[in-house]
Amino acid sequence: MPETATLDDTIASLPYDRALAEFQSVVTRLEAGGLPLEEVIALFERGVALHAHCETLLRSAELRVQRLVDGAGGSQRTVDLRPDDEDG
Amino acid sequence: MAASAGAPAAGRAHTASRILFVGELTRAIRDVMRDAPRLRDLWVEGEVGQVSISSAGHCYFTLKDEKAQLRCMIFRDDRLSIPFEPRTGLRLVAHGRVDVFEPQGHYQLYVDAIQPAGFGDLALRFEALKATLTKEGLFDAGRKRPLPAWPRTIGVATSLNGAVLQDIRQVLARRWPMVRVVVSSCLVQGTGAPESVVTALRRLARWTDPQTGRGTDVVILARGGGSLEDLWAFNEEIVVRAVAAHPCPIVVGVGHETDVTLAEFAADMRASTPSVAAELSVPARAEQEARLRVLGGRLTDAGRRAVAGPRATLDAERRALDGFRPAAHLAAERERVGFLLDRGARAMDARLAAERSRLVRLDDRLPMLLQGRLDRARTDLRAAAAGLGALSPYATLERGYAIVRDAEGHVLRAALATTPGSPLQVTLAKGGIDVRVERVRDSAP
Repeated sequence: MPETATLDDTIASLPYDRALAEFQSVVTRLEAGGLPLEEVIALFERGVALHAHCETLLRSAELRVQRLVDGAGGSQRTVDLRPDDEDG
Repeated sequence: MAASAGAPAAGRAHTASRILFVGELTRAIRDVMRDAPRLRDLWVEGEVGQVSISSAGHCYFTLKDEKAQLRCMIFRDDRLSIPFEPRTGLRLVAHGRVDVFEPQGHYQLYVDAIQPAGFGDLALRFEALKATLTKEGLFDAGRKRPLPAWPRTIGVATSLNGAVLQDIRQVLARRWPMVRVVVSSCLVQGTGAPESVVTALRRLARWTDPQTGRGTDVVILARGGGSLEDLWAFNEEIVVRAVAAHPCPIVVGVGHETDVTLAEFAADMRASTPSVAAELSVPARAEQEARLRVLGGRLTDAGRRAVAGPRATLDAERRALDGFRPAAHLAAERERVGFLLDRGARAMDARLAAERSRLVRLDDRLPMLLQGRLDRARTDLRAAAAGLGALSPYATLERGYAIVRDAEGHVLRAALATTPGSPLQVTLAKGGIDVRVERVRDSAP
């Protein structure tokens, strides 16, 4: 299982759904049992880290809202919303 | 006059010289009505009076205004195909033909279509476009795409003014704040609104994030409540077609619960209001938190069960070793297991600490009944952590045991595995000693 190989590989950059999916598979594999102890410990540690990562994402996320506007020559950019913006 | 004189031909009923049978006169009136083109195909508006449904399933009702009332009936088959039931007090527009019901001697409107009053031309346009687009298959259930389970970016096409965008933001911030919202603003009523909505949708369709190369995962098209005329842009053909052709799944929430627009029919998901559209577009944070709690509990349980076996083996080994007082042997495998369990204990500790702080947080909210259960869980978790902590091989060395290895570094498990004169290395709790074998005995003294 390359995605559970080490603790430090990029958990921090995993989006919630991928972290959750991996966390679920970790729990399922641990529950199935029959693994060598090294793998149990590694999986357990990975599970703890994934769990913490998911919780952090849920707790600390802040909604980002931007406005999409058309620029010259078909270009597009996202800008912050201002209270006096007009529709169009 | 005797009835046996025979009925005169209906065509001559107008001759004043003859006395008519009731049936003859009624038939004559019926014929006049049937011949009048403006009575054959008409719309009439009024308020519904009494309504009754016969055992055969036909519907009888009266339509009235200040000056008159009109008997109406809808045949069962027509009734079932009309998406609208007459109800007392309702103002409506009925379509049909006027005819005479001879046995009762009264005329009535035979209704084959009904609209709520006030629709007028708009209603007719709505129906016509709906029929056309339905025939084209634009509203087919098979065209609907499922909404993404985990959207990262949501496009919102709506007006920047008014409460709608604010409502959507609030729902998203509460339910799934890790989503990114990209707003494409448009006019949602009045002249130019249909074109503006189409432009806003195209703007979203064209966009991709320069960093990730990804566009929107789902789009919300929304507008708040208003009169039928206010919502009309969402019944315009170009808007309906733009919704149907949008490249990613689209949720349309226009007006209040009772408003229906053609744009909603064309959407992948119809929402009764803008807020509902936002809710349907993202997962629920509260559900995910509950899910994480359950999975976290399962992780702890599975971890405990998984180390329970090796721990029991190690305990048994230690008890057995206690019998070999002079020659304490620790198997390399046991040493390895001990190290791993040590590592496991640390991971478990961290996990338990998190669990404990969560339990503490929960305490504030949970009713007293649950307190006992939480206390027990806490005790269990502490016991599990303490059990693992005691398993380190160093703890064993501290108690006077030693690890004996041969010249190659292999842990020695049996006396017969070595011979007199062989060099051995002994690891103690502090430091080690190099020794040479004097004698080999097959059993403990």
